[in-house]
Amino acid sequence: MGQELLDSDLLRRLERLQLLSQRWSKGALRGERRSRNRGYSVEFADYRNYVAGDDLRYLDWNLYGRLDRLFLRLYEEDRELPVTIFLDASESMTFGEPSKFRFAKQVAAAIGHVVLCGSDRVSVRVFPEPKDHHRLSLINVRSRHSSLRLLQNLSELQGGGQSDLNEELRKGAIESPHAGMAVVLSDFLSPTGYEAGIKALMARGFQIMAVSVWSAEEFQPTSYGDLKFVDAETGAMQEVSFGKFRLRRYQAAATAYVARLAEFCRRRGVAFWSVSSATSLEDLLLKQMRQLELWR
Amino acid sequence: MSFLSLAALWFAVSLPVVVLFYLLKRKRKVRLVSSVLLWQRFLNESRANAPFQKLKRSMLLLLQLLLLALAVLALARPYFADYSLGGALQVLVIDASASMQATDVSPSRFAAAQASALQLVDGLQDSDKMVIVLAGARTLVVQSPTSEKAVLRRTIEGLQVSDAPTRLLEGLQLAETLVKDHASSEIHLLSDGAVSDLGEFADSEMKLVFHEIGQGSDNIGVASLDVRLNPDDRSSQVVFASVVNFSTNDYRFPVELWLDDRMLEARVVDLEKGGTASQVFVAQQPTNGVFTFRIEAEDQLAIDNEAYVVSLLPQPAEVLLYSAGNAFLERALHTSGTVNLQQTSDPTVAADEFDLVVLDGLIPQEWPEANLLAFNVVHTNWFAGWERADAPAVVDWKSAHPLLRFVGFDEVLISEAWSIATPFWAESLVESAQFPLIVAGEQEGLRRVWIGFDVLNSTWPLRVSFPIFVANAVQWLNPSMTSGHQLTTRIGETLRLSVDPNAESVTLERPGGQSEEWPITAGSSSLMFGDTAKQGVYRWGTGTNQVRFAVNLLDAAESDINSRATLNLAGGRLVEATESLRADLELWRWFALAAIVVLMGEWWYYHKRTA
Repeated sequence: MGQELLDSDLLRRLERLQLLSQRWSKGALRGERRSRNRGYSVEFADYRNYVAGDDLRYLDWNLYGRLDRLFLRLYEEDRELPVTIFLDASESMTFGEPSKFRFAKQVAAAIGHVVLCGSDRVSVRVFPEPKDHHRLSLINVRSRHSSLRLLQNLSELQGGGQSDLNEELRKGAIESPHAGMAVVLSDFLSPTGYEAGIKALMARGFQIMAVSVWSAEEFQPTSYGDLKFVDAETGAMQEVSFGKFRLRRYQAAATAYVARLAEFCRRRGVAFWSVSSATSLEDLLLKQMRQLELWR
Repeated sequence: MSFLSLAALWFAVSLPVVVLFYLLKRKRKVRLVSSVLLWQRFLNESRANAPFQKLKRSMLLLLQLLLLALAVLALARPYFADYSLGGALQVLVIDASASMQATDVSPSRFAAAQASALQLVDGLQDSDKMVIVLAGARTLVVQSPTSEKAVLRRTIEGLQVSDAPTRLLEGLQLAETLVKDHASSEIHLLSDGAVSDLGEFADSEMKLVFHEIGQGSDNIGVASLDVRLNPDDRSSQVVFASVVNFSTNDYRFPVELWLDDRMLEARVVDLEKGGTASQVFVAQQPTNGVFTFRIEAEDQLAIDNEAYVVSLLPQPAEVLLYSAGNAFLERALHTSGTVNLQQTSDPTVAADEFDLVVLDGLIPQEWPEANLLAFNVVHTNWFAGWERADAPAVVDWKSAHPLLRFVGFDEVLISEAWSIATPFWAESLVESAQFPLIVAGEQEGLRRVWIGFDVLNSTWPLRVSFPIFVANAVQWLNPSMTSGHQLTTRIGETLRLSVDPNAESVTLERPGGQSEEWPITAGSSSLMFGDTAKQGVYRWGTGTNQVRFAVNLLDAAESDINSRATLNLAGGRLVEATESLRADLELWRWFALAAIVVLMGEWWYYHKRTA
């Protein structure tokens, strides 16, 4: 099933990509990302006075020869980059042809694959919460060997249920031990909004990317007449008399909604993509995301 | 609650229209969508941008707007000036008697009655008509049937209360004749119920609504006032007055007696609740004058705190007695006051130039043209037939008549008497079981008193009542006395006034001070004056020849201002006072108002679901 989510050709091309972090890595474990921590990489960082007990291997003997004083050479330490993917699996995501949820899973899998290939750590937070074993195997995944299992687990996820985007993002921000990169995959159609959640992530220090997934139906409604819409997620009802002459007005309203979301993200330095579930994955992953320098 | 126009219930046929509304309500196709968020945004924006776009296609809204407009129109009460079949007739009988002047309800009972009347006018339906009858000194239809509320209001606001005693009987009888031919009619009586004469009113099936006005009872009134020559000292007068306390409190108040503008005496009277106090004043009276008796008390009805009596100085009466000899009668006549008595037993003596002729079993040959006191005389043209009756027992007498004042017939035995039928001009004063024993009356302007038995054949002369009766009779029959008594009357009653036949007009000055000229028909010597609606002293005459007469309320029933919640009609029928004024409040306005509220609620609810 992993193969179904992403074809092997795409996977190979993804393997060559390298995730670009705009910040110093704050991961706990050693990895391949520059961090502000001092450690034992090859990059020289600073000197400091020798104190008894320091590793003599790092003494700068040349300096000792010139100044007759003992200095210790300090090096930067490379750390891993923790990446958290917020995957909206609520009922509203199951709509669309192809399903928005499947598209979101594909994007999550692709990003996860790139992260793991780059020796970083990935956590996929799915909400509403799926069954336990899925959840466990999606959190704190490391090493490129785990990539296949991640893909497998992702492909088995089923959408459904009700969720509160704000609340889930806030929870994720608190529960993550280290802030790193956050990828939000959702349709952003939560009745309570999205602003508070994204602000919570920012406050925690995450570098955020938001991918808003739409289905074609949402921009091009095909039902006309006197309608009663039932919200699949909340059960809310809305009676609407809709005709073709009001289509453009509706589209304008929908576009304005997305534009507001984009503007919100832009102002806060959040990388934002708005994609239809029918968009080709390669286009998104290899072109759009590259253009915004998510990876190279 | 009842319905003014029951026919309007036919509008219930419109109820299926509501069902139609529901059928018109759109059937909506149900679609499951990922989220209604975008749709809500869309609707909010389109509503904000184009508020009237929705109206274009909303049949429901148009219908409801129409409904609302109709309801508003109904509230505005549109009408066409048109003729319609007559509706119900309401007769408003407003009591304008003296007791309605009571101030127990502010500002007065009459004003309260007017306010109630205006309320009734407000409740009048467009097709109804109303007649207003004012029951004052006289009963007047002050407003003929009309449905013009403005006219009715103006009439009611212009009504004046009178000083007269209550005459509701006439008012109700008049109202009854007014409503007789009307299929649907109502008589509304606005009164304090202080009325004594309704027992004679046998109402038929008419609908009488009694609106009780008033609530207090705090009143002291003069119930009677009279003046007499002092029997002990003929140079002075005795004034009798009785004061009644109708209130529920004991009272202590000063009373005053005035002769014209001069106060003769003042004293303080203590009067317990419900009690009566008789006051006797002895007063010197140098000239003819008017005695005024006044109560200085702060009570709720002012008009009965004063009473007036005209007192003329006694003129000696010239009396001729035809008698074969009657010591008791002679003595009684001598002591009866200012009398110049001549006696004869000769029937041929003519009785010219006498004020009063007494016949004691004798009939003069020439019938005297004077007031007559006749004992035991039947051979006159007064009676159609007579016969003798043995030992008639006195069973009843009218002690209210001036002739029988202080006269009782207890223990009076009569051996035989004439049995006659009371003639039309007279009234029977003393009666046996079958026939009258004493009758009195006025015939062709002359007064007559007839006693149907020989006093010597009875025990009457031995009783103290006999000389008193003779004194009463002399006073009643004395023309000068007569005029003195005639000059005091009750409000609303007519008065015979003598006028100078040569005068062309007389001047009348009313108690308020207004004076007016009255033309006199040439040659007439007397005039009936009935415009006595106001209490007080009237002045009447030509030039210096002035006569004063007093008009008094002197009505205990009127002074008793306790308002009655029940009217007693003939046949034991009771009319309860209605608790609240039934003013036919038209409820439809409220229903219409409620309809609008409901409509708005419905619209709100509809919007809440669909917006």
